[in-house]
Amino acid sequence: MTDHILRAYDDELKELRSIVSRMGGMAEDQLMAAMEGLRETNVAKATKVRNADKALDQLELQAERAAITMFARRAPVADDLRVVVAALKMTGLIERMGDYAKNIAKRTCAIAEGDPVPMPATLDRMASEARGMIREVMDAYVHQDADAAMDVWERDENLDNMHNAAYRQILARMMETPDHINTLTHYLMIAKNLERIGDQATNVAEQVYYTITGTLLEDARPKGDQTSTSLLVNDED
Amino acid sequence: MTQTNAPKMAAKDVHVFYGDNHAVKGISLELRRNEVMALIGPSGCGKSTFLRCLNRMNDTVASCRVEGNITLDNEDIYAPKIDVVQLRARVGMVFQKPNPFPKSIYDNVAYGPRIHGLATSRTDLDEIVATALEKAGLWNEVKDRLESPGTALSGGQQQRLCIARAIAVNPEVILMDEPCSALDPIATAKVEALIDELKEGYAIAIVTHSMQQAARVSQKTAFFHMGDLVELGDTTQIFTAPKKERTRDYITGRFG
Repeated sequence: MTDHILRAYDDELKELRSIVSRMGGMAEDQLMAAMEGLRETNVAKATKVRNADKALDQLELQAERAAITMFARRAPVADDLRVVVAALKMTGLIERMGDYAKNIAKRTCAIAEGDPVPMPATLDRMASEARGMIREVMDAYVHQDADAAMDVWERDENLDNMHNAAYRQILARMMETPDHINTLTHYLMIAKNLERIGDQATNVAEQVYYTITGTLLEDARPKGDQTSTSLLVNDED
Repeated sequence: MTQTNAPKMAAKDVHVFYGDNHAVKGISLELRRNEVMALIGPSGCGKSTFLRCLNRMNDTVASCRVEGNITLDNEDIYAPKIDVVQLRARVGMVFQKPNPFPKSIYDNVAYGPRIHGLATSRTDLDEIVATALEKAGLWNEVKDRLESPGTALSGGQQQRLCIARAIAVNPEVILMDEPCSALDPIATAKVEALIDELKEGYAIAIVTHSMQQAARVSQKTAFFHMGDLVELGDTTQIFTAPKKERTRDYITGRFG
């Protein structure tokens, strides 16, 4: 796209986009760091993640201020308008991802206080899937690739299916070992956090798609998560 | 399409030449009641020239030649039998600079109805003048000084006086050529509010250099560039997701 006649406007848009990208990278890092702390039941690492969340909050605030300034001073329209509106929404979504990572770290600290209970391996797989979604959607944003954003949007079903499986596994383990129910509940919630990160990535994908194409995606995405509508049925065999 | 939604004015493949200069190149569009159309584009893009074709203001320019077809209620406005004075009463115009006659406020508004014989008595005329001033949102500000000169009003009031003058002869279409470019934001807001109210009774086309004004007052936006109609669409669509690159570059301030 050609530059604006007013160069300061381009600089502001660039800065706003850069905040969004930086936040995406930070959310990804926070997720990986939180998972590392969880895997090792490492309170120091978990605490570091909890503290680092403030930086994401700060950046979100910075993006909000920048967007408000641009609305007031530039009255953005067309592609520019979409960039600013989408940035506002995306930074909110990414900040939420950070909150989920922080929550994983918080639960790690709680888990560390109880008897050691091995982490369900599904959580690792879910985390790497969620991380992949964040990375791909942020790449789509940076490269203005609507197809890549659409891919992420469609792919959330994988993570939903993993979540369904993790949910069943963890509940089964709760029944086998009722003594571990406290820790296993944390794992259950962590699985939910990871699934929610995927949802946020999907919502980010919608914004990326809108920024590029001007088309708002209808909420017609296949929903794979069934954990909130299903009862656990104990397999008889 | 319902009867009320039928086009009031329709332009088909309109070309305008000033001597050898091809200023407007094959424009087709329709004006409807209940719909304000904003014509936007850089200076010299042909938007004002096109607007002036709609009530034959270009007739007065010797070197100007208009081709194509323009109809008002399906009647060709360039047909020989058309009375141009009558046409300009039906298709009124408001200009960039408020241009009240050097007469009283009352006479400014009464002028058109008088020459068109719309009033049979002084009471009739008083009624027409009051109604037009009310519609133009000016009545309360001037009702006690109708005999003061129109030129003594503020710029914004003068522009609303010109709008009252235009609507006093019961036009069907109102053309506005940058009606707010000489007004401050408050006067502009008043004229814009007026445009919004008037659209219920008239088909309105407005030429404006203010993107924000086009976005605020119009339902349809037509983007002109170098004599071409580049894009015509719902105003919301044009200002959120224009289809053409040239439109985007212009409204976002990217034109070099």
